[in-house]
Amino acid sequence: MVKHMTDNIKVYALSTCPYCRRTKQFLKDNGIDCDIVDVDLLEGKEQDDLLDEIERITGKQSFPVVLIGSEVIVGHNEEKLRKALGL
Amino acid sequence: MTPSGEGRVFCPVCSVRFPPPKGVGDGEEVMCPVCGQKLLIRASADGWTGDRVGKYSDQEILDRIDAFARIRGYVFNEMKAEIIEGLIDKRRKFGDFYCPCRLRHDGEHQCPCRPTRGGDVERDGRCHCGLFWMKT
Ligand SMILES: [Zn+2]
Repeated sequence: MVKHMTDNIKVYALSTCPYCRRTKQFLKDNGIDCDIVDVDLLEGKEQDDLLDEIERITGKQSFPVVLIGSEVIVGHNEEKLRKALGL
Repeated sequence: MTPSGEGRVFCPVCSVRFPPPKGVGDGEEVMCPVCGQKLLIRASADGWTGDRVGKYSDQEILDRIDAFARIRGYVFNEMKAEIIEGLIDKRRKFGDFYCPCRLRHDGEHQCPCRPTRGGDVERDGRCHCGLFWMKT
């Protein structure tokens, strides 16, 4: 199996957050295959563990968080997304 | 009947106690001077109680954020409608109008949240969710 770059793309979002929605839409519009998790819709330990992970990676609890390879993009930022994705 | 508790109304949104405007009494509407919530006040043995007018309705949050912005002199931008959608979605999923861009479902994070009431907009130019902005 060829490992696609998109295997690495993860989005941590809140289902209620308009900036998260814009990021999701941007990725969709550009045909980017990614793994999207609405953290607010998780429960219990699963949510706690992911929040710890997000805080470890970004130093805070702010959304959306997009992980593209080793790149971490916090907040909706089309310029950074374009650059990281080579669009 | 004169309520005790120094005749102050408790705001269930921002938890302040404020004296009702002069001449306003039992069964009348007042606005919380801190968060802008409309409250129906009632005299009780423990003081005034204030019930949220239109509790949980879309109109309640629309009125509250407009009143709060007016009190503070803040302005909105083009994200306003989408952020309001997020607030209404929070209410539907998590029980009240909590910050749509945070994962905090407690009294301190009802819009306008405590950090915002405490001066985040003056410090950062905007609130965390980008609903309230300093006038430029
Ligand atoms: Zn209040």
